[in-house]
Amino acid sequence: MSLLKPFSKLPGLNSANILLVESEEQFQQSLADALVEETTFTVNVRLAKSLPLPVENEESRPRIDLVVFIINLTSELSLQSAEASLKCLDPGYFLGKVCFMVTNARSAAAPVERLDVARKLAASLHCPLLFAEDQTPDGVTNATERLLTILKVAAGLVPMATALYLSNLTRSTVPPDIEQPSFN
Amino acid sequence: MAATPSLSGPSDLDQSSQSDQSASSRSNNRSLRVAEKERKKNEAEDPFVLALKYFSDVEAGTPVQGNDDVERNMVLVEKVAYSKGLTPEAVSIMLEFSMSLCMGTTLCARVLKCLIPATVVPQEAVVRAVVWLGVRKIPVGTQILFIKWVLTVFDMIDAKDQLRAVYGFIFNFVTDENLCPYICHLLYLLTRKESVRVFRVRKLLELQSRLGRQPFLLSLLSLYKVFCPELVTLSIPSRVKSGFRNHNSPWKSALIAVQKRNGAQVASSISLASAIKTKPRKRKHCHLVLPVLSSVVSKRAQTEPSSSRKVVPLVQVHSFAQLLENMHRIELPAQMGSLLGSSLALQYLDCVQDESALLRLNFWLGYALHEEFLFCGDGGASQDSEDALQFLNTLLSTQHFLQEGFSCSEAFLFKFLNVWDGSLLRPQILGLLSNIPVVPSSQIGQLLFEPLMQLYFTSSLFFKCGLMECLNNMLLKWLTWHSVYALEDDLDISLNSHTSINMTLSGFKDSVMELVDFVGRLASLGLRLEGCHSLLLSFILDFYETVCDTFLKYGLPLVVMPPPGVFYPALLATDPVSVDRLAYIMYRYKVNLTSAKSQKQLTEQAFHISRQTFREFNHYAAVMVNCLWNSKMFQPDMGIQLGEELLLKSNVPQYGTSFDLIHHPAFMSYAVDFHQRCWPGRKDMDLNSLKCSKLWSWYQEYLFSQGYDGLKQFVQSNICRQLTAGDSLPT
Repeated sequence: MSLLKPFSKLPGLNSANILLVESEEQFQQSLADALVEETTFTVNVRLAKSLPLPVENEESRPRIDLVVFIINLTSELSLQSAEASLKCLDPGYFLGKVCFMVTNARSAAAPVERLDVARKLAASLHCPLLFAEDQTPDGVTNATERLLTILKVAAGLVPMATALYLSNLTRSTVPPDIEQPSFN
Repeated sequence: MAATPSLSGPSDLDQSSQSDQSASSRSNNRSLRVAEKERKKNEAEDPFVLALKYFSDVEAGTPVQGNDDVERNMVLVEKVAYSKGLTPEAVSIMLEFSMSLCMGTTLCARVLKCLIPATVVPQEAVVRAVVWLGVRKIPVGTQILFIKWVLTVFDMIDAKDQLRAVYGFIFNFVTDENLCPYICHLLYLLTRKESVRVFRVRKLLELQSRLGRQPFLLSLLSLYKVFCPELVTLSIPSRVKSGFRNHNSPWKSALIAVQKRNGAQVASSISLASAIKTKPRKRKHCHLVLPVLSSVVSKRAQTEPSSSRKVVPLVQVHSFAQLLENMHRIELPAQMGSLLGSSLALQYLDCVQDESALLRLNFWLGYALHEEFLFCGDGGASQDSEDALQFLNTLLSTQHFLQEGFSCSEAFLFKFLNVWDGSLLRPQILGLLSNIPVVPSSQIGQLLFEPLMQLYFTSSLFFKCGLMECLNNMLLKWLTWHSVYALEDDLDISLNSHTSINMTLSGFKDSVMELVDFVGRLASLGLRLEGCHSLLLSFILDFYETVCDTFLKYGLPLVVMPPPGVFYPALLATDPVSVDRLAYIMYRYKVNLTSAKSQKQLTEQAFHISRQTFREFNHYAAVMVNCLWNSKMFQPDMGIQLGEELLLKSNVPQYGTSFDLIHHPAFMSYAVDFHQRCWPGRKDMDLNSLKCSKLWSWYQEYLFSQGYDGLKQFVQSNICRQLTAGDSLPT
C-alpha cells in the first residue's frame, strides 16, 4: 500500500489539483464538472472511489493539493469507506489539505449518530467538515465555490495564507447537543 | 317498538328538495305568514326530520336485528350526511344516540362514520359523548373511532371552554393503552398552561417508562415543557419522529366533499384539524403552508351572538376596535401557525400578557421548522421551493412586526447552522439570525461562533459580506433592546418582554464584547484572505460605524476599537470612500470617548472604560494624522515599521510622504485634478508644491467639497491649524 504524499512532487504554475473520493460516485461527477469551470487558475480534478490510488499512474499523476472525502450520510458504507481510505494518506495531508464534504445531513433517513461520528472524525483530524446540498443546482454551485476557496489556499495561490493557517480557522468542532425544542 | 313511522316513507331526497323548491315558488305569491306555516308543515313532514326524531326518541334496548325502521332512518341520515352534512342539532342527536349505546354497540360505529358536520359541532354534544365514553362499555375500536372523530372535527367544535373544563376527565383515559395515542393528541390540542400539573407530568412519565419513549407521549410532554419548564426536567430528544398521525381517514373525503358543496365557508377546517403532525414523507411541506385563520364560526354564531358563549374566536375579530373589546375572551385557534398570517392576531399576540399564546406559537413553529428543514423526507431536494421561501419570509415579517425573535427560531438556527451549506435560503436564514436575542457570553462561542467561523472562512466573498451585514444587524438589535429595556438605576435589563429573560448589564456587555471581538477577528482575517477586497471592507466599516457609537447612541458604556487588521487596510485602501469612512469612524470614537470621560468626571458613575482603549485610540489617531497630514509614514513609533535599509532599497524618494493626502493612492487623482485646476497650462507636475501652507488648506477645502465629510470632521476635530502636528486628545 502506497501512501499519497503532499510534497513528493513539484507544483504546477497557476494550477491546482483536487482529488474527490466518494465510494458511491454520485456527487463526484457533477462537482467535478463545476470545478473545472473555474477560469482564474487551472483546476485539475481527479476522481477516486477509494484510496489507495492505483500504482500504475503514479508517475503521471500531479501533486494533489486537496483531498476531499464525500460522505453520504444516509449510507453507512459511505462513511466506512472514507474512514478506511484515510489510512492511505500521508500525515502531511492533515496539515490542511484534507476536507470532508457531507451530503444529506438534513435528511430524515440519516441517523443523528452517523453525523456525530463524521463530525468527531473530522474534529479528531483537524479537518473542515463542509455540508452540501447535492440535489439542487444552487447547492452544487455553492459546494464548488467553497471547495475552490479551500483549494486556492491549499495550492498556495492566496498570498499570506497557507493551508495550515486556514485549517486552523475552519476545522470542525463537535457541537453541543442542543435540545429541541429548548426554550429555557 | 316505539318508533313513529314516518308518513311519507323513504322518499327520495332530490324529490323532496324539488318539492321544497316548488313550495317556495308557490309561496312567493302568498303572504309571509302562510309561507311560514307552509314551511313548518314541510319541515314536520320532512323524512329527515322525522328520522332524527326517531333517533332522539328511540327507547333504550330496542333491538336492531330485523328492525326495518332503524335501517330505513339510518340510510336516510347517512344520505343527508354524505350529501349536505349534518346540522349541529343533527350531530348532537346522532352522537348522543350512538354513544349512549341506545340500541347496542352494532350501530355505534356506523353512526360515527357518518357524522359529517355541515357547519359546526356543538361543544355540549362532544362533552356528553366524552362522558358516555366513561360510563358505558363501548368496544375499544369504537372508542378509538370516536376520539379520531373528535380530532378530525376539532376546529369545527364551536367552543372549547367546557371541553377544557373536563381536561382532567379526559386525561384519565391516558392510562388506557389503546386510547393513549389519540387521547394524547386531543390533550395536546386542549392543553393550556393551567392544565399542566405535577401529577399529570408524573403520570405521563410513568407511562413513558412503561410504554417506552413513544412519540405521542414525547410530543405531549414537550408541550408541557413549553408551558412549565420547571415541572418537566426530561430532555426531549432532538429528533422526535412525527408525534401524531393523521386520524381523519374515515371522514376526510366526505368532509371535503360536503364543504365544497356548502361553499368554502369552512373549507380549511379539514387541513387545520389534520395538518398538525403529518409525516413529511406523505405531505411535503405540510407546515410550510400556513393554516388559514378560519373555521369554528358558523353562520348561526355570527348572526346571533349568543350571550352564553364566552369566548370569541380570533377569526371573528375583524377590526382593531373589536379586538380591544374582546381582548379578555379571545379564543386561540388550534393551529397556532395561522396567527403568523394575520396582522390582527399579531397585534393581539403583541399586547396580550398571557404567555401561553406565544408559547404555543413557539411550539408550533419550533416543530414546523425542525420537521421541514432539519428532518426532511426527501433529503432536501425540493427545499428551495417557493413554499419554504414564503414560510420563512412570513416568519421574518412577523418577527419584524413584533420586533423580537421567537426563541424557537433561535433554537432552530443554532442547530441549522451546524448543517448549513451556506447558500440554502441564505437571505432568509441570515435575516432570522440577525433577529436572535442576546446570547449569554458563556454559550455564544459554541452556539454561534464555531459554526459561523467554519462557514465564513470556507465560503465566497459574498457570503462573507452577507454575514458581516447580518452580524451588524444583530448588534444593532441588541443595542436597541438595551436602550429600550435598560432600567437606569439597577442596571438590570429585561431583554425580551415576553420570555422575561433577565440579564445583568455586565452580562450583556460581555455578550456584546464577545460579538464585537468575534467580528473583529472575522474581519481582519477575511480581509487578509480576500486581499482587502473593498466590498468586504465596506461591510466591515458598516459594522464599526455601529460599534463606535455604542455610548452616545445606545447608552452602553462600552467602547471597542477596531483591530489593526481592520484599521490599516482601511487607512491604506485604494478607494477614497473607505478612508473617508474610517476618518468618520475615528471622529465618532473621539466624540464618544470624550463624552464618556467628561460624564465620568461629572457623575463618578460605576462604569469604566479601560485605559487601554484610550491608548489604542490615541495611537490610531496619531498614526492617521502622521500618515495623512504630517507625511511621517514609517516612523519608528508607528504601527507599521519597515527597516531603514529596506525602505532605501525600494528607491522611493521621500517615502514618508507617500501616504499623505496628496500621495495616498486613494487621493492621488484628486491631487492631480487640483494641480491642474491651479495651473491649467503647466506641463510638469509637482505635487509637492501643494504642500505649501496656503495651497495645502485650499486643497483640503477642495477635498471636503468633494463630499468627504468624514475626513472633514476628523481633520476639524483632531488638527489645530496653528500647529503643524496636533492631536488634542483626551488621555
